[in-house]
Amino acid sequence: MPLAPEQAASAVGEDRSDTDDTLLVVRAAEGDEEAFAVLVRLHAPTLVRMAARMLGNVPEAEDAVQDALISAWRKLPEFQRQSTFRTWVYRIVTNRCLNVLRARRPVDHLDAADQVAAPEHTVSPARIAESHAAVDELQTALTALSAEQRACWVLRELDGQSYEFIAQAVGISQEAVRARVFRARRSLTQQLGAWR
Amino acid sequence: MTARTDPPRPSQPDGDDELLPCGRSLAEVWDLREQEKHDPHLEGCLHCRRAVDELAVLETSVRRLREQSSTAEAYDARALTHRIMDVVRLELRPGRPLPLGEPDEDLWIMESAAARTVRAAAETVRGVRAGSCRITLERLPGREAPLIDVRLEIHAPASAPLQDLAEQVRRSVLTAVDGTLGMVLNGIDIRITDLLDAADEPGEGTDR
Amino acid sequence: MNGTAHIDEVARAVLGVEGVAFLKPGVAQQVRSALAGTGRAGATRASGLRMSRSGGGGEGTWDVDVHIVVLGEARAVDVARGTRAAVAECLRRMFPETTAPARITVTVTGLL
Repeated sequence: MPLAPEQAASAVGEDRSDTDDTLLVVRAAEGDEEAFAVLVRLHAPTLVRMAARMLGNVPEAEDAVQDALISAWRKLPEFQRQSTFRTWVYRIVTNRCLNVLRARRPVDHLDAADQVAAPEHTVSPARIAESHAAVDELQTALTALSAEQRACWVLRELDGQSYEFIAQAVGISQEAVRARVFRARRSLTQQLGAWR
Repeated sequence: MTARTDPPRPSQPDGDDELLPCGRSLAEVWDLREQEKHDPHLEGCLHCRRAVDELAVLETSVRRLREQSSTAEAYDARALTHRIMDVVRLELRPGRPLPLGEPDEDLWIMESAAARTVRAAAETVRGVRAGSCRITLERLPGREAPLIDVRLEIHAPASAPLQDLAEQVRRSVLTAVDGTLGMVLNGIDIRITDLLDAADEPGEGTDR
Repeated sequence: MNGTAHIDEVARAVLGVEGVAFLKPGVAQQVRSALAGTGRAGATRASGLRMSRSGGGGEGTWDVDVHIVVLGEARAVDVARGTRAAVAECLRRMFPETTAPARITVTVTGLL
């Protein structure tokens, strides 16, 4: 096996700018799989986090990101670079997640609420206990959203993306994103309020 | 009565917006809050304050969920990267075979392998980062050996004298193509497509 | 000697050439190693190497196509030449009665 570029990437860190990406993207598009491995290594953590928020669990998120990045490798020669690589792969992962969410049957929604993407974190036990109920409530409420509402809401509220970015990632207008986020918020406040 | 227990009628059947009892739309009230714009009406309006309070309760839970799902800092992407690259290596795009040595030897090197050598050679010049590398093959009538040309795009440090730098890159590439590969080049076209400020320049050994 | 044995013999000759890292893994082997998480050395024996013989009987011209990955410190063209020489020598040893020269194509697919 050739040397593992996954390891070579470890020193790069995650703060590489989009400008640095462009060189790697060009090289990967020309068939340099090691450049692609660096891109994967750089972007996978944020993509998995986003997908886990979208889908509610890490294993499904990893599958979605894996499928999306393999499809990105296949599509790279046609990538026109009108957007950044980051926006482009976000869009592919988002689409993947939307398909997974759409394919879930209503019963799965409730199951998914139990498998919260909440790994070990550094919050005091007391605070965990206090916040668990509220977060569980929110998780359950999220499963009632449509796939499209959930996707836009997660990108906005959990991922902290701009409406412009979400519009590009989801492939709809900014107005449509705003409308979906609004409807999601309305649905969530109503659900949370109803149980209080 | 609050907006919650007595939900106003949606202005549209699909609930795109709804009017609060004071006549303002809920979307507008929330939007002003999201944009952190001053909203003088809010102070005097019970309905709007309740609507905003509802959103604030949601935001508290959202913040906690966001903290709980912040896996990225701790996430180790190595296993996932390995899985992805295992599949990618089944679908490589090696490009075309390029002739090595003399024309009648029937010895070849795949374009992507040759391009990798060219880029690596260019990047031995301090501050240079290599991007696109195209290796073209031109067969002329009456001439047995095809002409092989390299077209390389690089990012160069803004501080460097560009003429000298391009010359260094050219020499480095020629040396590698001859010494490492044994391929005979007709010409090298080096294009500087971007200039890097000192702050952007990669430190030594950060990339490979 | 059957066909597989011939291929094994030529593959061994190629792997003995200085500067050859390995024969390019065939897709089947890559799938196996992807699934198993390992690459078995023995599995490379026939990958990256294709042999066929044109014409009938034991007299036809050998057509050999070798794909190799070369060690970084070696010069690719020299390794490719060494590979062709090793394959030709191996064929002469195995088929002394064949007079027609073999057609040997060597492709470097990667450098380590």
